[in-house]
This record gives sequence, C-alpha cells and structure tokens, in this order.
Amino acid sequence: MSGALIWLLVALGLGVVIVRRRSLAVGFVTVQALVLAVSAADDTAAAAAVLAVRAVALGTLLLLVVSRTREPRPVRAGIAPIARAGLAVGFALALTWLIPAIGLESRNAERGVLALIAFGVTAAATRRATLFQVLGIVLCENGLALAALQLPGGSSTVIELGVAFDLTLVALVAVVFHERIFAEFGAGDTAALRSLRE
Amino acid sequence: MSSRELLALLVVAAPALAAAATVVAPRRAVHLVATVGAIASAVAAAVLSAVALSSPGSPLVGRWVVVDAAAGLLVAVIGVVGLTAVLVSPAYLAASPHGLVRAERRPRTFYGLVFGFWAILTAIPLAGNLGGAWLLVEATTAASALLVGFGGKPRALEAAWKYLILTSLGLGVALLGIVVLAAGSSHGGLDALSWRALEHVRAGHALVAYLLLLAGLASKVGWAPVHNWLPDAHSEAPAPVSALLSAALLPAVLLVAWRSSQALTPVIGASAAQSVLVGFGLLSLAVAVPFLWQAMPWKRLLAYSSLEHMGVIALGIGFGTPLALAGVAVHIVGHALAKALGFYAATPLLGHEPRAAGHAVRGIGRTQGPLASVLGVSLGALAGLPPSPLFASEVLIVAGGFAAGRPWTAATAAALLALGFLGLAHALLETIAGKAHARDRAAPGLRGVVLLTGVAVPCLLGLTVAALWLPGSAIARALVQGIR
Repeated sequence: MSGALIWLLVALGLGVVIVRRRSLAVGFVTVQALVLAVSAADDTAAAAAVLAVRAVALGTLLLLVVSRTREPRPVRAGIAPIARAGLAVGFALALTWLIPAIGLESRNAERGVLALIAFGVTAAATRRATLFQVLGIVLCENGLALAALQLPGGSSTVIELGVAFDLTLVALVAVVFHERIFAEFGAGDTAALRSLRE
Repeated sequence: MSSRELLALLVVAAPALAAAATVVAPRRAVHLVATVGAIASAVAAAVLSAVALSSPGSPLVGRWVVVDAAAGLLVAVIGVVGLTAVLVSPAYLAASPHGLVRAERRPRTFYGLVFGFWAILTAIPLAGNLGGAWLLVEATTAASALLVGFGGKPRALEAAWKYLILTSLGLGVALLGIVVLAAGSSHGGLDALSWRALEHVRAGHALVAYLLLLAGLASKVGWAPVHNWLPDAHSEAPAPVSALLSAALLPAVLLVAWRSSQALTPVIGASAAQSVLVGFGLLSLAVAVPFLWQAMPWKRLLAYSSLEHMGVIALGIGFGTPLALAGVAVHIVGHALAKALGFYAATPLLGHEPRAAGHAVRGIGRTQGPLASVLGVSLGALAGLPPSPLFASEVLIVAGGFAAGRPWTAATAAALLALGFLGLAHALLETIAGKAHARDRAAPGLRGVVLLTGVAVPCLLGLTVAALWLPGSAIARALVQGIR
C-alpha cells in the first residue's frame, strides 16, 4: 500500500476524533474500510471481499441508527475539537515512540496502524456520544485490518473473516444498547449514564 | 478426525444446539428444554474433562483443537457453572419480569443467549491457536454484554455499555499483539498463531507482542488496573449471568493468557513471561483488598472478590512451580463453586431484602436461616476460611512463590491475602449475625439454592482433600508442561 493511501487513512481517522456530526464520522470509517478493501484486492481477493462487505454492512447499520435516533443537537464532547486532535496526535506519537518496529512491510504502515489505534482509543475516551465510542472501536479495528494486510507473510483469511464477524456482532449489540439508552435518556450521551453512579 | 476432536466438537455443539432448541421451543416448554439442554451439555463437558484429566501426560494439540489437562479443568468448570446457572434461572426470570426484551420473549431470549455464551465459553479452552482463542474471547463480549444489560434498568444499561466498550478496546490491543506475533513468525497464515508455533517467533517481536496481548486480555480478565467494568457488570447482571461471568468467563480468558505465557516462554524467557503475570496478580490483590473492607452490596462485594481471586490465580501462574499450579487448579474450581453459589443466592436475597441491591446486607441469619447458611458457605469459602479449598490453594500458591525463588512477592501476597481474609470475614459476620430490622418477605428460589449448597459443600471439602494430593500428581506435571 502506498504511503499516500496510508496517510489518507490516518487523516480520515483524525476526522472521526474531530467532527461533530455522527453521520460524517460514520462516512469516514466506511471510506477507510473501503480504501483498505480496494488496496487488498491486489493481493487477496477474499480479504478484500470481507473488508468490503464489513464496510458496507457496518456503514449502512450505523447510518440507519443515526437516522433512527436523531439528536435535537449534537452531544457535546466535553473536550474541544482542537484539544481532542492534540490528544490523539500526542497519543499516536507516544505509541510510535514506545513500540519498536513490529515487522510490517513498511515503517509508514506501522505508524499508520499505531495512529489509527491511538485515534480510536482517543475517540472512545473523549467523546460522550455513544455512537462515537462505537466508532472508536471500529477505527481501532480498521487500524488492525491495515496491520493484517501489511503482514509480510500475509494473514489468515479465516482470522480476518472472524474479526470482521466479531466486530459486526459487537457493533450490532452496541446499536441495541445505543437505541435503548436513547429511549431511556432522550440522547445517546454517556454522561447521562455516568451520572447514575454519582 | 480423532475421537477426542469429535468429543471437543460435541462439547461445543451441545450448548449451541440447546440455544437453538430454546429459541424454537414452544413457550410452555422453554424451561424444560433448557434444563434438558443444560444436562446434556454438562454431561458432554464431564466426559471430555474425564478424558483430558485421566491422561494428562498425552494432550491432543491440533491446528484447531487442544485437549489437555488445563482445557479439561476449564471445560468441567464451565459445564458445572453453566448447568447450575440454567437450573436457577427460572427463579430469576420469575422474580424479574421486566427487561431488555418483551415479557413473552424473555425466557426464550435469555436461555438462547445463556446457551450461546456457554458454547463460546466452552470453545475458548479448546481453541488450538491464539487467533481462534482471540476470536472466541471477542465473541463472548457480544453475547455477555446483552446478558449484562438484560435487566434493562438504566444502571444495567450503563454497566453493559461500559463492559462492551472497555473490553472491546482492550481486545483490540490484544489483537495488535497477535498481529505483532504474526509479523515475527516464520510461518504464514493461521499456522503462525498455533500455540506450538509461537516459540518460533523472533525474540524482538515476542516481548512487545506478549505485553500488548496481556495488557489487552487483562481488560477482559478484570485484572487491575483495567478492571473498571467488572464491579458494575457483575453487580448489575442477572444473578445466573454474574455467576457465568465470574466463575467461567474470567478463568477461561485467563487460560488464554496462561497458554500465551507458556508458548512464548522459550523466546522471551521464563522470568519476563512470569513477571508480567505476577505484576498483574499483585496489583489486582492490592486494589481489591481495600474494597473488601468496605460495607457494600452483596453482588458488588462478590465482584471485588473476583478481582482478588483473579489476582491470586495470576500469581500462581506467574510463579509457575508445580505447587503453585496445583494451587491454581484448586483455586479455579473452588472459586467457581463458591462464587456461583454466592451469585445464585442473590435472587432469594433480593426477594427477601430488596435493599440488598444497593446496600450492604446485615443479619440475614436472624430473619432467614437457610439463606444465611448459603451466604455463609459462599463467603466463608471465598474468604479462605479453613477448611475451604481456597485456603488450601492460597497456601499452595504462596508456597509455590517461595519455591519459585520469589520470597518477597510471596510474602507480600500472603500479607494481602490475610488482609483480604479479614475484610471478607468481617463481611461474613455482619451478613449473617449483624443487626437486622424485621423482614417478612419470601426468598424466591431459595429451595433450589439450598439444594445446590447441599451438593456444593461436599464438593468443596473434597476439593480441599484433593489439594493435598494434587501437587505431586500427573495433572500438576501436565499443567507445568503446558502444550509444549
């Protein structure tokens, strides 16, 4: 995979950390997965197909949820977008510094993987909206899919299929809870959940 | 396919088929179908366990399936907890008529999810490679999160959400570790992740991968400092599900960490592999003990006790001597029996004293003697009150620490265990004989739980006796050897 494509994936990931609109963020992770699928098509058609199906299925599911649970106004993140971006980039740099070479085909790919995981964790940790926390997990999984595609010996299609299936299952369950939380509190806001313990 | 592989397939298929049967069964027959399915699944598990533990020196280690002593032990534990969880479920379903799904679909959905969870859980110890094991651990998250939130109350939703997000992120980190292992392997594809292939991973990759893997798995085992979901999920889940989570899920995931440690030891060295586990163990104990001294609701107390016990097991695996690993085997089984009993008692307890959902419970012995005896057996065993098997296992693990040449760690662990014992012993006295106000509510499902206690007590005592014999046995040698 070319360096430009890897940095496109990273930019889309950073977008998920920054943007306010849920539908836009869903679009970002879907495009990411489709870019991964297209780039995998040269090497393994099976992996590309799995990624493409997962991207379309998850994208459709999440957009459907966004339309079913319209928020009167976007849930505030608690941390300003620029601060979130700073945290995400700082975390990504720290990971790149802490974790030595992991043996992928290029150092750029390794940096891209670590950045996407850092962005995913940051999105899940700093966004209050339930759907953004799910997108944080999807972002991490996209990073791991990039890593699997960049393995020197190639990865196992069975494992890739399993990971895609598990992720879809987790997203489905998250959607069930998101809708229930929305029905209960009138917003998909984890701050309302946390207040139950205070 | 060999007979043991077929048996392993049957053990996983039985609860999976039971899940399908409960979903399609007529409404009136759901409980009966679930009971029959649970008995069949437990019998299959018992047969596999007997086969695995009767010939511990010759494990089956295939590309997809492992049947060894550790798998036999875990499959037996999961079978017993699964069976008893299903047996006490009618009382829970009758006592809590509202929830995440509509009333008419509740039992069917509940049993379907429980059996699905059971099937995946059983497959974890039998997984023949790390990739497969990770997929199964991740798959438990979906089924068990739905079960944690099954009560449908806001707090249950919060606990389920926290569990889903934190464990999924943690498992993402573990998957990064697996990718690093695959990158450093001389094999390609699925073979790179078979347990025996892991010792051929390049040393530079192995340590980073091991740290990422264990840090990720720790979030699912509930080791400190990534245990935040555990107290909430265990206390908000339906009682039979709490038992499955604490007594079956946590040790099953812990086995994946154990196998990874054994598989990577030739590359990263025994000291590094074991020190990480010892670190998680000591930290979990240290974090759990102050909570065990606090007055808190019954299920939450049991949840913090899970944190303590997973720490003890991590220590035992980290010490890695025959003494310590014999202690680990006894601890896993004893903890499962005592903890499951404690969670099952929560249904009659909450019926008898609804305030127990949010407050420490006191003086149950003054108002409901049989219930107090169940709580006493559970908490006494978990505290490590002699002749509890957990007392014997903790002695074995600490002695194993000294034998492993880690006297300071073993001494610290002994001190923390003593403090934990005092905290739980105080809770035991307060729960049974503390001051109580008048209570006249019934305790739903109590008869079944008392019956289970009648069966569990001789099993616990038998386990204490077994602890004396186990360290020199072929099973302990097989646990030390692992699947190498």
